[in-house]
Amino acid sequence: MKLRNLLTSCAALVVASIASAGDLVAIKAGHVETVSHGCIQHAVILVEDGKIVTIGRDLPIERGIPVIDAPDLWVVPGFVDPYSRVGLEARGGSDFNPQIHAEIELFPRNTDYAETLKAGVTTLGLYPPGGGGMPGQACVVRPKGDTAKDMLIKSGAYVLFVFRADARSKKMLKDAFEKATEYTDKEKKAREKFEKDASKKKDDKKEEKKDEKKEEKKEGEKEASPSALQDGAQDDAAAQDKKDEKTEKTDAAKGYVAPEADEKVKPFLDLRAGKLRILVTIFGAGDWLHFAQALGDEKVGVDLRVPLTRDTDMFEVAKAIGEKKLRVLMEPEITTTPGTLRQRNLPAEFVAAGAKLVLLPRGDSPFAFKTWPRAVGEIISAGLDRNVALRAMTLEPAEMLGVADRVGSIDKGKDANLLFFSGDPFEPTSKLKAVMLEGRIVHGEVQQ
Amino acid sequence: MKFHEMLQRRLLFAAAACFCTLVALPTVFAQEKGADDKKEDEKKDADKKDGDAKKKEEDKWFAVTHADLYTGTGARFRDATVLAKNGKIEKIGVEVDLPEGTTVLDAGGLVVYPGLVAYSSNGLFGAASSDFADSVNTFSPNLVMALGNGITTTGQSGAALKLKRGEIDGVLMKDKATTLLNFSAQNPQGRRSLLDKFAATSQYLRDYRAWEEKKKNDKDLKEPAKKDSDATILQILKGEILARFQSDDRDELLGIARLAQKYGFRPVIEGCREGWTIAEELGRAGAYAVVTPRDRVDKSEELVAAGGTSIENAAILRAHGVQIAIVPSGKSVDLGGIAGRDILALTVEAGFGVRGGLTNDAALEAITIVPARLLGVDHRVGSLEVGKDCDLIVCDGDIMHYETFVQQAVVDGKVVYEKNKELFYAHIRPRNDSALAPETRVDKGQEQPEKTAAAAESKDDAKKDEKKSDKPDKKEEKKD
Repeated sequence: MKLRNLLTSCAALVVASIASAGDLVAIKAGHVETVSHGCIQHAVILVEDGKIVTIGRDLPIERGIPVIDAPDLWVVPGFVDPYSRVGLEARGGSDFNPQIHAEIELFPRNTDYAETLKAGVTTLGLYPPGGGGMPGQACVVRPKGDTAKDMLIKSGAYVLFVFRADARSKKMLKDAFEKATEYTDKEKKAREKFEKDASKKKDDKKEEKKDEKKEEKKEGEKEASPSALQDGAQDDAAAQDKKDEKTEKTDAAKGYVAPEADEKVKPFLDLRAGKLRILVTIFGAGDWLHFAQALGDEKVGVDLRVPLTRDTDMFEVAKAIGEKKLRVLMEPEITTTPGTLRQRNLPAEFVAAGAKLVLLPRGDSPFAFKTWPRAVGEIISAGLDRNVALRAMTLEPAEMLGVADRVGSIDKGKDANLLFFSGDPFEPTSKLKAVMLEGRIVHGEVQQ
Repeated sequence: MKFHEMLQRRLLFAAAACFCTLVALPTVFAQEKGADDKKEDEKKDADKKDGDAKKKEEDKWFAVTHADLYTGTGARFRDATVLAKNGKIEKIGVEVDLPEGTTVLDAGGLVVYPGLVAYSSNGLFGAASSDFADSVNTFSPNLVMALGNGITTTGQSGAALKLKRGEIDGVLMKDKATTLLNFSAQNPQGRRSLLDKFAATSQYLRDYRAWEEKKKNDKDLKEPAKKDSDATILQILKGEILARFQSDDRDELLGIARLAQKYGFRPVIEGCREGWTIAEELGRAGAYAVVTPRDRVDKSEELVAAGGTSIENAAILRAHGVQIAIVPSGKSVDLGGIAGRDILALTVEAGFGVRGGLTNDAALEAITIVPARLLGVDHRVGSLEVGKDCDLIVCDGDIMHYETFVQQAVVDGKVVYEKNKELFYAHIRPRNDSALAPETRVDKGQEQPEKTAAAAESKDDAKKDEKKSDKPDKKEEKKD
């Protein structure tokens, strides 16, 4: 017994030592769905400064730390809706504007965001307006904040492409990549030319170089101050010095400035470099064939959105898409084979074929958000795996948006975005008791 | 490595001895080039062999066997086989050896026809109406229904499209083969200007040809001016494109026939209701007629001459040398009103041609090779011949009989429609219960599995052969 006590107190000490750092709260919950590593019963989650510090079963808690005691509640990660226009009101056409960012429209005081949060959606991917073509790039926001900057988590999450099977859409995609290739060639030539010129002048420069180095060092000393930014600058300078010493031969590239790429070309360079993904809305199986043909061998991160708000023949290409392990965004809807009464669970069919699934709310209205888990429950009862379904509302969209290091699951180091349900979130009788956004309860109440 | 050394020694020996050794011949020259080159050559050879092997693996063989075969060229076979390699017909015959791995469709007791060609249709490829290569939807239910009624190629907006289900490459066969001309009696001005254009263009063409002739002697001779000549009409007169007219009226038809005779081109006439009254003239003009045998229109009472529709129209025109294509009155798949008048009734319509006196063969031609000719794709579809696309349909009876269903449709050597697996007709007279169902084939005393039966057999044979051949080899080695 004594030994056990000792151990617990040791563990408590560790917890306490973290506790002393700042804003700390412990959550004791009966049932925690971590999404990333299964379900934990009688779990303790320690949250500090809005981040999850530890999570485990029956962890000891140091006295003095405020505890949220919820033995009967189910805790799940905050929902992530990657495809939304909540609070945005602009209208768009069907043009080619991949350079436009959705966050320019953000209006933080819009009351819709509070409603969104109330429904348990703690992360939103907002896309730019447009019914066709490439309307622009989406951003990731938290639905709370006084300024647009406060809300913004990530800019340029994906570029949206509303694809229809016609010559225009296909040409748009092909032209865009062609222009990117043109730029790459141009840039390559410019660099080669620069290097040639530089190597000609190399002999002259050798003498000058020593002086340059000295000057740089002096500058570094001048800027030596405790500010973090300048520290960084100093480090950079130091690093540069080292580089100079090590690689005098490759020095030709130094001072080279790449020609500025057109703003409409840049996103496609990013796509090719893997810095950006493309979300393609398609409406039927035929569209997929044409899109795949237009994309050709281009290796870019592609996600597909298939609106299930009307019957679609997408099941025809489920196998082809599943084989490519693409991510598919769908509403939790049971559709019918067009022209018949045969029901289909397309989300489940795509998962079975090997695709990754993201489930979207049925719309952007508060009602759609509120009924989201219930709607997902319906397709779970129609055969979709429950864990896949939960992942499809949390971690999968987070990965798609490139913010899985911050949200999407209950893990050490991630934001404490937690939802407290009275029972299984997919049961129609369950209620959302409270919503925690980055360590703060922003909706509802829980026992302290 | 040892093998290589041995080979080299052998080659050296062979080179020294004589240059005629068959095995060594290619590498002898390589030796002269030097050791490095030789290695490269060997590599290339190895690559080639690999490539060939891969190609052989990739070759897709497909065969329809035991069929009552209507080739569409007049030839008919009983118990025949059509063998296709990568979608093109390789062999047609009664005793055809099937290569290993051939996908076999046993059509025992069934009738095989070339895939039907609808001269004109609408809406089989979803909403696509132009830019077909970029907009066809080949998952459209209408397309499946058309396949279920035997159509494997269709014209739409002048383009020839193939019903390749679930694929978009190769759907568009030809962009434009015909051009529409207006020769309506209600538009005398248009008719006048058309005649003028024909006259001017014809004159230009004559001058141009004369100039080409004279140019050989006198190089400085000026090219004749194009003046009022029309580019499209020039194409027509050169035979590069077919002139298409929409006309039913006897007088108009007569005008078209004489125009065509005067300028020496073959007109395509859509409608051609009263064609039977002036069939001789149309025949002399070498016209093509696209007719709907079930059409019913009374004759104009102001006229004394014969007129109106006739059930015999197709037969009479054909008897006078006019090539007939048959189309139903509706172009699209129509699920309302009375059935049997839309594009799916193509065979029924052809059947009415037969009722009016057209021969069975002529009626079949009217929904296969003739429309293929009009769409400019008769070198690929419309009949079953070696080298053409393997587009065919397997039916449980005469294609023009109302009771007949298409059991399977094959496009480019691929089964794209099977009646018993689709929603549309699977429940109607399923074949096993049908009174028309053929007796099960029991030639070899046992039922064959449906697919690659022949392949499996040949594999077994091959294995046996290997076993047989292995044994003597070993014995020989021992002797050595």
